[in-house]
Amino acid sequence: MPTTIAIGLNVNGIRHELNVEPRWLLVDVIREQIGLTGTHIGCEHGVCGTCTVLVNGETARSCLMLAASADGAEITTVEGLSSGERLHPLQAAFREAQGLQCGFCTPGMLMVAHELLRENPSPSEAEIRESISANLCRCTGYQGIVDAVQLAASSQAGAPAAR
Amino acid sequence: MATAERRWIGKDIPRLEDPKLLAGRATYTDDVKLPGMLHTAVLRSPHPHARIARIDTSRARALPGVFAVVTGEDAKEMTNPLPAFCAEPVVQYCLAVEKVRFAGEAVAAVAAVDRYTAEDAVALIDVEYELLPVVTDPFEAMKPSTAKLHDPLPSNLAFEKTLSFGDVADDFAAADRVIRRKLRWHRASAQPLETAGAVCRYDPISQKMDVWSNTNMINYVGWLIANTLKVPAGRLNIYPMYVGGSFGSKHVLGKVIGIAGMLAKRSGRPVKFMEDRVDNLIASENLACDRFYDVELAVTKDGVFKSIRVKVVDDYGAYFQFGHGTHGNALAQVTGPYRMGSFEYTVQCVLTNKCQQGVFRGAGSDAGNFCLERLVDAAAQELGIDRVEIRRRNFIAPDRFPFKTPCGNVYDSGNYPAVLDRALEMSGFAELKRMQAEARAQGRYVGIGLATAQQRSVYGPTEFWFWYDSPGLTAAPESVGLSLGPTGEFVVTMFSPFWGNSPETVVAQTIGEEFGIDPAQVTVTYEDSQHALPGAGPGGSRMTVMLTGAAAGASRKLKDKLSKIAAHQFEAAPEDIVFADGRAMVRGLPDKSMSYGDLGLKAYWFKLDLPAGMESGLEARHTYDHPYLTKPSADRKDLGAFYPIMAHGAHIPVVEVEPETGRVRFLRYVAVHDVGTIVNPKSLRGQITGGITQGIGMALYEQSVYDADGQPLTASFMDYLLPTAQEVPRFEVGHVETPSPFTEYGVKGGGEGGRMIAPAAIASAIEDALAPFGVRVDEVPLTPERIVKLVEAAGR
Amino acid sequence: MKPPRFDYLAPRTLDETLAHLHDHGDQAKILAGGQSLIPMLNFRLAHPGVVVDVNRLTELAYVRQHDGGVAVGALTRQHAVERSELIRARVPVVAEACRFIGHAPIRHRGTFGGNLAHADPASELPAVMVALEAEMAVASRAGSRAVPAGQFFTGPLTTALRPGEMLTEIRIPAPPSRTGGAFVEMARRAGDFALVGVAALITFDGAGKCERVRIALCGVGPTPIRARAAEDALTGQAPTATALAAAADRAAAATSPPSDVHGSAEFRKKLARHFARQAIAAAVERSGGR
Repeated sequence: MPTTIAIGLNVNGIRHELNVEPRWLLVDVIREQIGLTGTHIGCEHGVCGTCTVLVNGETARSCLMLAASADGAEITTVEGLSSGERLHPLQAAFREAQGLQCGFCTPGMLMVAHELLRENPSPSEAEIRESISANLCRCTGYQGIVDAVQLAASSQAGAPAAR
Repeated sequence: MATAERRWIGKDIPRLEDPKLLAGRATYTDDVKLPGMLHTAVLRSPHPHARIARIDTSRARALPGVFAVVTGEDAKEMTNPLPAFCAEPVVQYCLAVEKVRFAGEAVAAVAAVDRYTAEDAVALIDVEYELLPVVTDPFEAMKPSTAKLHDPLPSNLAFEKTLSFGDVADDFAAADRVIRRKLRWHRASAQPLETAGAVCRYDPISQKMDVWSNTNMINYVGWLIANTLKVPAGRLNIYPMYVGGSFGSKHVLGKVIGIAGMLAKRSGRPVKFMEDRVDNLIASENLACDRFYDVELAVTKDGVFKSIRVKVVDDYGAYFQFGHGTHGNALAQVTGPYRMGSFEYTVQCVLTNKCQQGVFRGAGSDAGNFCLERLVDAAAQELGIDRVEIRRRNFIAPDRFPFKTPCGNVYDSGNYPAVLDRALEMSGFAELKRMQAEARAQGRYVGIGLATAQQRSVYGPTEFWFWYDSPGLTAAPESVGLSLGPTGEFVVTMFSPFWGNSPETVVAQTIGEEFGIDPAQVTVTYEDSQHALPGAGPGGSRMTVMLTGAAAGASRKLKDKLSKIAAHQFEAAPEDIVFADGRAMVRGLPDKSMSYGDLGLKAYWFKLDLPAGMESGLEARHTYDHPYLTKPSADRKDLGAFYPIMAHGAHIPVVEVEPETGRVRFLRYVAVHDVGTIVNPKSLRGQITGGITQGIGMALYEQSVYDADGQPLTASFMDYLLPTAQEVPRFEVGHVETPSPFTEYGVKGGGEGGRMIAPAAIASAIEDALAPFGVRVDEVPLTPERIVKLVEAAGR
Repeated sequence: MKPPRFDYLAPRTLDETLAHLHDHGDQAKILAGGQSLIPMLNFRLAHPGVVVDVNRLTELAYVRQHDGGVAVGALTRQHAVERSELIRARVPVVAEACRFIGHAPIRHRGTFGGNLAHADPASELPAVMVALEAEMAVASRAGSRAVPAGQFFTGPLTTALRPGEMLTEIRIPAPPSRTGGAFVEMARRAGDFALVGVAALITFDGAGKCERVRIALCGVGPTPIRARAAEDALTGQAPTATALAAAADRAAAATSPPSDVHGSAEFRKKLARHFARQAIAAAVERSGGR
C-alpha cells in the first residue's frame, strides 16, 4: 500500500478529512476524493488555468499544488459560488453577456473574475484583460468574458444580486 | 430583402446550456465515474519511425494496482483498424502494430487503479526499437526512393490528382497577366481545452460495450467504431457528452475509444482514458493542413479575374484518417466570392513521420481563402488598382444567385457588396488611411488589412469521395425528437453532442417560434446511440441549419397532429388552427382555443376524444437531410452541389508592427459576416470572436513544429501558443442577413467563418504595415522572427 | 501527467528543514511555491526521493528594511513582493520585474527565493538580483554563508547551493540616490517566459554623466548575463543616443542565447540589443537626477 498522510481541507465551507498520497495534486483530490468535478484539468503544467480555485481567498492553479501542501487551507471551487438554485451575480452576468460557450474554462475564469472584482470593483477593460489573461479560453475570443465582467462590475456597483 | 417578423428566431435569449455550465455541474467525459473504474496511461514512441522489435510488459503487469496492459499485438487481435475516410490502404490501429510511424504514437497502454499508478507502470515497460529512416520533408517523402511509411502503398505519395473545370488553359492564355505566388500554411492544432477521452464498459455475456466519450458522429459512423472495437454494431452504445470544445478535433475518436475499449475487455472493469495535454498535442487527430501552395491567378489589365490554378502539396503526417477531404472542402469556394469561369486544382497528399492531420475549424477552406486573398492583393498591387475596387469589380452580383461555380458547387445567396460596404463604413476606412499616413510620418508601421471571403456551411459528404472515381456516401442528416407531454411541457431529444455551440438554445428557439412559447420553457435532453436517430453531429458549420431544419420538421409533424385534435374538438378544419401564445386556436375565434396543457392531457389520457384512428400520445421525430445536395457527374466535370449554404464575410484588421522586434499589435478589428438569418445574435457573435481569435492564433502564434529528425518541438502549452485575452483586441462585429432560399428560416452556418477569414486579413494587414519595406507576406504563422527576417530580406 | 512517487516531509521550522536537508542530501528537493517544481514533477522530469515542503515556514516570509536596503525572506510570495510598499519605495525595479512573472495566480504561490533557487535562464528575478548586486543568504545545519548574486547562478537550473543548503534570505542593497531603474522584457505572449529581459540601473553624477551603470539580461544565456562591457562603455558618459546604442551593442555581444521554437540565437541577440537600449533609456529617464 502506498503511504498516505492525513490532511484536512475546508472546501466551500465543508471540512473534509482525507488520506492522500503526498504526490496527489490538489485538483485530483478535489475532483476524485471530494467529488467536485466543476474544477477542470486542461494542461497540468500551469498554463491554461482551467484548474483555478481560491486557496485561502487567493486564486491558485490547483494542478500546481500538492493536496498535502494545502492541508488546513480554505478552498473555494466554482461549486461554492452558486447556492442551491441561485447563481452568483457573477455567474448571472456571464449568462447575460454569454461569456462562455463550451463551459470548460468557465469555472477557472469565474474564480479569476471573482477575485478581480473583489480587489478592483471598477476595472478598466485593460485591467480585465490582464487579469483574465491568466486563463485560456479557446471558444469565446474573450470578448463575451470581458463583457460579463464589466456587467458584473456595474451590477455590483448598484443593483441587488441578479438571479 | 424583407425579413419575416419573428418572435424568437433572431432574438438574444440566454442560452439553455449555461446555468449548469456556470455552476460547474455539466458532465464532461472526465467527470464520468463508474464503480470499479480504472484509469489509463499510454506509452508513446520516442522514435518517429521504427520497427517494434520487442515489448516487455512484465514489470508493468507486476506493479500493484495494475489490472491490464495491452500492446500492438493485442490491438491486432482485439480490434480492427480505426475508421478512415480514405480509400487508400493506410491502416491504423489504436496502438502501433509492428512499427511506429510518428514520435508520440501509442505503443502500449496500462489500466490501473488511478492515473498515477498507470503512469508508474508505463515507466516499467521496456521496448526495443529498430530505427528506420525518418521522413519529414514532404518533397523528399514523395520520391519513390524514399523509405515508405506504409508497405502496401507504392510510395508516401498517398494520393495525387488534378481536377479541372471550365477552360483553364484558354483563360490563362487570354489573360493579360498571371499573378503567381508560393505560399506556406503551417501545421496548427485545434487544442480545445478539454482533451479527447473515453470511458468504456464491456459486458462479455451480452457483448455490450457502453462508451461515454466526447467523440462525435455517434449516429453517423458509430457502426465503424463498433467494427474497430469488434463488438456487434447493435450492441455498441455511445452516450453523447458535454464536450469542452472540439473545433473538428473530436469527430471520430477511434484511438481513445479503442484503447479504453481494449482495456475494458482485458481487465473486466470499466476503463477511462483521458488524454493529457501532451497526448493531445503530439498524438491526437487534431492537426491541420500543412501546405505548400503554388498558385496563379489569371487577370485582365482591368483587374478582372478569369481563372485560378492551385497546386498544393499537403503533408498529412503518418496516417490518412480523413483522406484528402480537406481538399474536397476547399473546392467549395476556390474561386471565392468572385466571378471566375474556370479553375484547376492539383493536390498531392504526402505521408511523413508526424502525427496525422485531422480537421481543424475551416478544414482546408481557411488555407484556400488565404491563397485567394493573397493573390487578389497581389493583383491589385501589380495592376495598380485599389484593392477595394478590384474586389468590387469581381464580386458575383447580388442578383446572380443561386450561383453555380465552375466546379458545380452552388452558392445559395449573397450580397457581397453590401458586406464590404458595411465593413468599410464600420471601420471608417478613409479615416483609417489618414491615420495610417500620420503614423507612417511618425515612423510607426500601421497596416490596414482587407479580406473578403467565403465561409461555406453544411458540408455535403460527397466532398470525401468525389476526388475518387467510385461513389461513396450521400447522407449527412440530423434528427431531433419532440414531445408535448400531458402537462403541456415540450421536451426535445437531441442525439448529437454539445461542442460549445448552442444546439439546445437553437432548438428551443425553433420550438418557441413554431409553437409561440418561451424557449426557456423547453426541456432539452440527450439520448444515447442505441436509441437515437441518424445525425452527423457538429462540424462544418452545419448544426444551426440542420437543427432548425430537424426541429422545424418535428414541429410540423406535431402541429399536424395537434391541429387535428383541436379541429376535432372545435368542429373546425385542421388548416384553420393556428398556434400562438401557448395555445392552439381556431383562426379568428380566440374563444375556441386550447392550451398545450389541455391538448397534452387530451392526447395522452382521453383517447376517445381524439379523431377516429388517431394514436394517443404527442411525439414526433424528424430526420432532416442536407437541404441541397446533388451527385457529382461521372466524369467529375460537375461535382454537384455539396456546400451550397454559402456564408460570407469581410474583415478589416488594423495592426501596428514593430520591424525591429516583429511584434504585432491590433489597433482595431472589424468583421462583418453574412450568415443568413441569425438565430441567436450573441451566440453568433461569440462564434465569430472565438473564430477570429483562433485565426489570430494561426496568423501569429500557432504552429505544431517538428524538427528535421521528426521530434515534436511544441509538446506543451509553453510552446504551442494559444492567444490570451491580451493578444486579441475588442472585435467590432457587424452583420448583413441574406437568407438562404434552401434552409429553414433562411439560416446559414457561421461557426467557422472567423477562423476561415482572419488569417488572410491579418496577412494583408501586416503586408500593408510593412509596405514601406516592400515586404510580401506568403506564410502563416508570422512569428516575430519571421517578420524581422522579412523586413531584413526586403531591405537587401 | 502525474508526479512520480516520493517521500514527503513538511517541517514547521527552519531548523527542522535544515536537519531534513542534511539527512537526505541530494535526494531532497525543496517544495516552496511549486510553480516550477510541480510542472517538472508532472512531466516526470524530476524524480526527487524526498520532497521537503517548506510552505509552513512562515518565519521566512517577510520584507524588511536592512541597511538602507531591503531584506526579503526566501519564502515571501512573489505577489507580496510585488505589492510591498518598501520594495516599491527602495527598489521599484524588483516590483516591476515581478509583474512579468507569469500571471497573478502563479505569483500568489510562487516564492521569491524559490524562483531564484530554480535559476531558470529565462527568469526575471535572477537578472534583477545580479543587476542590484544582491546577496543570497544560504543556511545549512552547519551554519550560514552569503553568496553574492553574481556568483549564485552557475548554470541553467543550477546555483551555488550545495546539498543540505537552503536559500533563506535575499539582501538587496538600496541603489545610490539619483538612480533610475527599469526592467523590460519581450515574451511571445503576456506572462510567457522572456525571450529576452533586461534590468538596468543608471546613477547620475549631478553633472549629466552616468556615474554608475548596472545592466543584466535574462533569457540570453545559461545564467543571467551581467553586461560589464556595456556598463564600462556607458560609465562616465553622457547618455546620448550614440552612447546608448554603443552600450546596447556591447550588451548584445555579451549574450550567448539559446535557439528554440520561439526564436533563434541570432534573433535573440538582436532583441537583446533592442531591449538593452530600451531599458537603459528608461532607467535614464527615471533617474531624475541629471
